[in-house]
Amino acid sequence: MSTHNGKPLLEISHVNKQYPGVKALDDVSLSMHSGEVMAMLGENGAGKSTLMKVLSGAISRDSGDILLDGRPLPMDNTPLTARAFGIAIIYQELSLLPQLDVAENIFLTHEPTVLGKFIDYKKMHAMARTQLDKLEAHDIDTHAKVETLSLPERQLVEIAKALAVDCKVIIMDEPTTSLTWEETDHLFEMVRRLKKQNVAVVYISHRMDEVFQISDTIAVMRDGRLIDKIPTESTDSVKVVELMTGKLLEHRDRRPEDCKVIYDDAHVIMEVKDATDGKKIKNASFKVYANEVLGFAGLVGAQRTELARAIFGADKLVRGEVSVSGRKIFNRSPKDSIKNRIGYLSENRKEEGLNLGMTLEENVVLIDMSKVSSRGYLSRSKIREIFDTYKQSTRIKGTAKQLVSSLSGGNQQKVVISKWLHSGCGLLIFDEPTRGIDVAAKAEIYQIIRRFAEEQMAAIVISSDVRELADVCDRVLVMSRGEIVHEILPDGISQENILHSIVNKGGKKNG
Amino acid sequence: MDKTVENKQGLGSLLIGKFGVILGLVVLCAIFSVLSEAFRTPGNLRNILIQAGTNSIIAAGMTFVVLAAGIDLSVGSIVALSSVLGASIMKSTGNVALGIAVALAVGIVLGLVNGVIVAYLDFPPFIVTLSTMWLYRGSAYVFTNGQAIVNLPDGNMALALGRFLGIPYIVWLIILVYIVCFIVLSRMTFGRKVYAVGDNAESARLSGINVRAVKAIVFTISGFLAALGGIILMSRLNSGQPIAGQSFEMTAIAAAVIGGTSLTKGGVGSIGGTLIGALFISALMNGLIILNVSAFWQQVVMGIVVLIAIGIDRYRKSLSS
Repeated sequence: MSTHNGKPLLEISHVNKQYPGVKALDDVSLSMHSGEVMAMLGENGAGKSTLMKVLSGAISRDSGDILLDGRPLPMDNTPLTARAFGIAIIYQELSLLPQLDVAENIFLTHEPTVLGKFIDYKKMHAMARTQLDKLEAHDIDTHAKVETLSLPERQLVEIAKALAVDCKVIIMDEPTTSLTWEETDHLFEMVRRLKKQNVAVVYISHRMDEVFQISDTIAVMRDGRLIDKIPTESTDSVKVVELMTGKLLEHRDRRPEDCKVIYDDAHVIMEVKDATDGKKIKNASFKVYANEVLGFAGLVGAQRTELARAIFGADKLVRGEVSVSGRKIFNRSPKDSIKNRIGYLSENRKEEGLNLGMTLEENVVLIDMSKVSSRGYLSRSKIREIFDTYKQSTRIKGTAKQLVSSLSGGNQQKVVISKWLHSGCGLLIFDEPTRGIDVAAKAEIYQIIRRFAEEQMAAIVISSDVRELADVCDRVLVMSRGEIVHEILPDGISQENILHSIVNKGGKKNG
Repeated sequence: MDKTVENKQGLGSLLIGKFGVILGLVVLCAIFSVLSEAFRTPGNLRNILIQAGTNSIIAAGMTFVVLAAGIDLSVGSIVALSSVLGASIMKSTGNVALGIAVALAVGIVLGLVNGVIVAYLDFPPFIVTLSTMWLYRGSAYVFTNGQAIVNLPDGNMALALGRFLGIPYIVWLIILVYIVCFIVLSRMTFGRKVYAVGDNAESARLSGINVRAVKAIVFTISGFLAALGGIILMSRLNSGQPIAGQSFEMTAIAAAVIGGTSLTKGGVGSIGGTLIGALFISALMNGLIILNVSAFWQQVVMGIVVLIAIGIDRYRKSLSS
């Protein structure tokens, strides 16, 4: 059991971190004891990751003290310093080098040496063996290249690496995202063993059932603040969800009477049957009705983006069919989909949504240049005309000849939206349309999405922000691990309902 | 009428954007003119332009490829293989036009082969064109048994010697190629696609652009223009030589880089810049020869110039960001 008496191992007091326009950490104070497993909960952008990055030295804090075993962590904390203090972080994306073997990875940068320069391989493998045995990972060969290991095995190696230097705090960031149920059970055993060795574990997760299974305490963050830290045994998921969403939100959920969609077969605009990609998506079937905004909710790893990309033709489906207005279509490529008037606004604005090295107007007309050219010759005046129209309707703050890279996130997103409004597509899939965007721009984007669905065929919104889904969607589908597990109808749309469904339905084996 | 105004603005901003290179060219010519009377004669100016012919045309094709985030190391070998095949047809049929047509067709096919391997097999352009550089060059040697093809019909020299309105055909050809390339790259939808693919291929794909087709086409253009450059060379040498075009790929890349096209990031650069870059190299080489600088030192100077060009480009970028 965690020792709540005695001096705490880790003491964070009054830590602040300011980003341009956002207070990422707002006077956060928190303490942990040796052998404590603390679950860290909060919506996206609540500040969990920022706090963990401050601890592990990935970013520096603006003010506040952090004590580990009574020693102050310096203000200019770096990953190396944090490691020396005994803080290790295991990211979702593992940081091992796939071409090196297990022992080389575990002792990277602090290999045992002979004469101070030559690596003592024999000793290194023996030490690696000891570390892995401590974790009861007897099956992992220290000579195996990391790329040959399974994902959970790699996680074990990562943990062994953390323990190889005297480690007091291990931070696990959504460690079960890509694990199967069985693998998750193994991981939990691991966490219990760490606990026995008096290591403090910070466990970041969205999965409510896991949190209650493994943690001693639960810390909830919202809007950069630590809302509460409570013993797990004295609370339940309802209470935790309340803490996560907060009670005083300036927000009105969409009401059932706002929904003008007619839900009958005559109004089905798109139907996806049995979509399966052979890797992540399993038998996804759903319908989109005319003028509807359909939401997709789910945790990280629910594969909503993968489903959207497959429907759009950006990735391949091995089975299943997509039909639009009753006509079966074969989307082999994004180009085909656009021809069939289906568009996809990627969640990665900068990597996939925009051409950052090109101007605003060039980006806006990129998908459909037929309206601004004849026989392949571009008309500059027509490009300008089209750009000006969208600049006005989506209220872009920028000029036609400016490079898109020089715009703020909100304005970049408006350029992406303009680009797709101009594409002539009737059904748009908005993937995280307001990620990293300020509140004012968010409201404008919601209006654009609603208007689009009402004037065109329909819209699909994928979002990790339940407020957003409750605000714009007529209906919400909840996904978990590649499957659609729940449907929330117009009369059930509310932040609480959606979040409950995500953490309960999305987190249980038989959703 | 609105359009002409806009065109002027476009051209103006192009010149300002490339102002540094143009300034460099002007300063270079001024220095050589002061140092040597022979440099500043009209005859020598014409020489500089003629000498720029082959390289500037190959560099125009290279610009397409580099803008699409690729590279084409095989252009020098395409010069050789297309011109020996063209020359042999010319010699056996006595028909100059047919020989030229064959050379151009060979260039298109060789470029297309590069393009298809890069675009549809997803091989890296550097490796593909490094391989075809040897493959095409080797084929030229095999075909000719290492011998130059000489005694071509008289008409072959016409391109190198002829003039129209007092201006050599070669210079007209450069002007024509650059006007067409300028229009394609900055006034046509295809040009936007080249820039979009080079800037961010995934975003371009998700925008419905056929990225593979664009890649295949830019290599084909490069192959075609390399063959055209080869025809100029064939006319000037009045022979088809399997050793022709050695290291032309490097001079073409240098022209594009001096002109502000980025080798590390696709979608950055312009065809106008490449023309200035090619003229700069030609003027530099010409001036050094007139000043009796040894061929060994010419290479040293060339290396320094390219480094300076990249340095200026970096500096300009650091100012804008």
